Amino acid sequence: MTSFFLKRLALIIPALAGVSLLTFALVHLIPGDPITIMVGIRGLTPERHAEMLHQLGLDKPLWQQFLMYDWNALHGDLGRSIFTRQPVMTEFLQRFPATVELSLAAIVFAIVIGLPAGVLAAVKRGSWIDHTVMTASLTGYSMPIFWWALLLILLFSVQLGWTPVSGRLSAEYWITPHTGFMLIDTLRENDFDAFENALWHLILPAIVLGTIPLAVIARMTRSSMLEVLGDDYVRTARAKGAAPWRVILVHALRNALIPVVTVTGLQVGMLLTGAILTETIFSWPGIGQWMVQAINQRDYPVIQGGILLIACAIILVNFLVDLTYGLIDPRIRHPR
Amino acid sequence: MTALLDIQNLRVEFGAADQPFRAVDGVSFTVRPGEVLGIVGESGSGKSVTSLALMGLIAYPGRVSAERLMFDGQDLLALPPKRRRTITGGDIAMIFQEPMTSLNPAFTVGWQIMEALKIHGGGSTRSRRDRAAELLSQVGIPDPRRRLDTYPHQMSGGMSQRVMIAMAIACNPKLLIADEPTTALDVTIQAQVMDLLLHLQQERGMSLILITHDLAVAAEAAHRVLVMYAGQVVETAPADMLFDDPRHPYTEALLAALPERARGQRRLNALAGVVPGQHDRPRGCLLGPRCPYAQERCRREQPMLHGDTQRQVRCFFPLAASRTSIPQSA
Amino acid sequence: MPSDPQNELSLDSASDAGEAHAFAHVRHQPPHPLVEVWRDFRESKGALAGLAVSVALVLIAIFAPWVAPHSPIDQDQSAFLQPPAWLPGGSWTDPLGTDAVGRDLLSRLIFGARLSLFVGLLVVTLSLAVGVVLGLLSGFYRGWIDSVIMRLVDIMMAIPSLLLAIAIVAILGPSLVNAIIAIAIVNIPFYIRLTRASVVAESAKDYVMASRVAGAGHLRLMFSTLLPNCTAPLIVQATLGFSSAILDAAALGFLGLGAQPPTPEWGTMLADSMQFVQSAWWVVTFPGLAILITVLAFNLMGDGLRDALDPKLKR
Repeated sequence: MTSFFLKRLALIIPALAGVSLLTFALVHLIPGDPITIMVGIRGLTPERHAEMLHQLGLDKPLWQQFLMYDWNALHGDLGRSIFTRQPVMTEFLQRFPATVELSLAAIVFAIVIGLPAGVLAAVKRGSWIDHTVMTASLTGYSMPIFWWALLLILLFSVQLGWTPVSGRLSAEYWITPHTGFMLIDTLRENDFDAFENALWHLILPAIVLGTIPLAVIARMTRSSMLEVLGDDYVRTARAKGAAPWRVILVHALRNALIPVVTVTGLQVGMLLTGAILTETIFSWPGIGQWMVQAINQRDYPVIQGGILLIACAIILVNFLVDLTYGLIDPRIRHPR
Repeated sequence: MTALLDIQNLRVEFGAADQPFRAVDGVSFTVRPGEVLGIVGESGSGKSVTSLALMGLIAYPGRVSAERLMFDGQDLLALPPKRRRTITGGDIAMIFQEPMTSLNPAFTVGWQIMEALKIHGGGSTRSRRDRAAELLSQVGIPDPRRRLDTYPHQMSGGMSQRVMIAMAIACNPKLLIADEPTTALDVTIQAQVMDLLLHLQQERGMSLILITHDLAVAAEAAHRVLVMYAGQVVETAPADMLFDDPRHPYTEALLAALPERARGQRRLNALAGVVPGQHDRPRGCLLGPRCPYAQERCRREQPMLHGDTQRQVRCFFPLAASRTSIPQSA
Repeated sequence: MPSDPQNELSLDSASDAGEAHAFAHVRHQPPHPLVEVWRDFRESKGALAGLAVSVALVLIAIFAPWVAPHSPIDQDQSAFLQPPAWLPGGSWTDPLGTDAVGRDLLSRLIFGARLSLFVGLLVVTLSLAVGVVLGLLSGFYRGWIDSVIMRLVDIMMAIPSLLLAIAIVAILGPSLVNAIIAIAIVNIPFYIRLTRASVVAESAKDYVMASRVAGAGHLRLMFSTLLPNCTAPLIVQATLGFSSAILDAAALGFLGLGAQPPTPEWGTMLADSMQFVQSAWWVVTFPGLAILITVLAFNLMGDGLRDALDPKLKR
């Protein structure tokens, strides 16, 4: 097991190095420099321009800039945002919990509904339940999620007035950010009204973000279960006289989950993609929104640092998923 | 002695209702307590499906029907599913051909045996664990206590099959069905596992249905043998009589195909053709297209099983007694 | 012995060859593989529906100028935000209503079909071409080429695809063409991985060894021998890639980074419409519905293809 762990760990480092190189290259290919954008049409004297470039260290040769950047990055210093002057790391840490909270809520939603739906569809293969689940899942990932968000807003916020339209918390509440997770922070202050309010704000974006993972999980679970249900050991379990539910939930599901876990982990990448769009529509102050703004503003340090950190997060999650895989599948835990 | 298992006219169909595929077509036999019945036939003969049907393991869209399916005085077809499940794995147990894939890879061997005990009896975890270790030693696995915590993928084929056997006999079944138990194993291990099975059978007085395509195994182990072809029983007889003195052309062909019988010849005596599938079943006798003795009547009608309680054969022109010569190539 | 006129006799040479039989034995001619694929595909009603809709969409896209009642960019100053025909205030000249500057929604949607299908086609062609070649090289030569290419793939897949696409569009400038390029680039890693996996699996098989021994050169081995046998998963991925390209282009359009107004791209149409969620629901609903129907149709087809090709894969 430890060799498995270490091997996976060793692969991370070159991946991260590669990502930082790629983002550095990308970022410096974006035309225009941040100063011109900041200053706008007014323009600057060439001397002043050069001075500002020098201040920001943007006039050094590229390779030097790259190495300096990596060195600082290893120390947690990813530079400062050109626009807000805040350290990139600080801004990231401020906004990341919002995205994590949203993503967790979305994944929980996707699993709680998707997993049972997939199992049911597999067990009742060919029935109306199966067809409904399959059609619903297919529709789920055939939809543009920003449109889905707009439809849900139209229905639940505008027509029914059940959910708020944007943000994490209504203006009348103020919570000191402690962990950055609104649900936790409101509870810490024993402010149950605020908690409820935060929950209502979370529901719609979580459903929107979780729709695609739900569809993927439902389909994956179904196909995995169908395969497993045809395996010999399921027949053995039945031959032992086990009750049908036991055969399905204990024997089959346990094995069917293995590929589902892998797929769910890979959904993290999808989630962050979806987060960009969802956060934009719901004005959710997470890193998705942050990145879009930064790209539009040519805020190099933020773009670079942001992508690096996001890639870090994804690689980390993939690593954790690999570990979980090892936990679930005894064949990996105890090699012959 | 009353039969432990009494099957009359078992039929298993798959596929469309108007054009079904009869995997098992009117099979009847009985098994007495303590008897070893061998069922032989090639792939596609319906021998496995028969056993799955009597275990209640034929899933939709298969349809099982029979005039009589009695086990130990109970009508299996009339039992509600829950009651039926107490018999499955309890009084009737089954082991399968591929031991490596027949055990759940996610759970330890001990857990799986203990589960069988739990389903059919219960008892504390400790007592079940003790019993599981005891069973492992009964099937000849060394260091049983430690083995309880191993996973199936850590064991060899022979050992896996021993575990399957242990799991099957855990609840002291009256009838054990072994479907090609040694086919997937190494030759050296095959004999060991067969010995184990027969030893357990004798020691516990269990009835054993041994399904195999290996005539040698059936000859050695079985008291009586059933020969199946294309879903039908074509001959049944006590083992020694069947092998010395076959009555059905198919039995004769199976015996002739044994490599030992072709000593001195340049070619093995293979029977031409294949078992009929769903779409090419002859109107008359199912063996007709391949039978060297086929005649006009065989093409028109299907023969019925006829004979006495000891021997039965399904043929219009059964082979004469003590005929041992094989038709030579022209 | 008279033989049954319906069937032909076929005898096994290892048996009693001289004996004539009263019986017969049918000769089987296996059907052509494409016919079998079509037959399996036909089994799924969803797949057929998907195919029908896809064909309809392609036709609409091709004949857009004749099908659409109006021009997609003509503004009718007298009819801003007119509701669809069946609601009060609507009229059948603009069956699905008009947008904020009086353009007919239906015509815009029809021309939008053209754009979306074009985007899908181009993206898939580009990423397939590059991805397959790189995948072939990677899986065939292994060694350092493989390491470099796969590292690149891993790195690209570590960054969320939309983010990468946005960054690329930021470099190239927002336009539909640049969006196509960006999405194509972002999709390449999937095809590389898929091709490489197939190539690696097939390379171990005997027929490849046979070709090698017969003296086939590298190019021939890669393109004539290996590639045709790796096509099944690629076809399925391409169909699904087509529909995801449409979604991605719409997403970029929505963010203002894809097609620019007044181009009637469905995503761009949605970007303008966010403000009308409350007042003019049709401006929000119909473009999204168009995307949904198109993507759903191609996904259904892709699913049907996957199921029909699967037994082939397993065989």
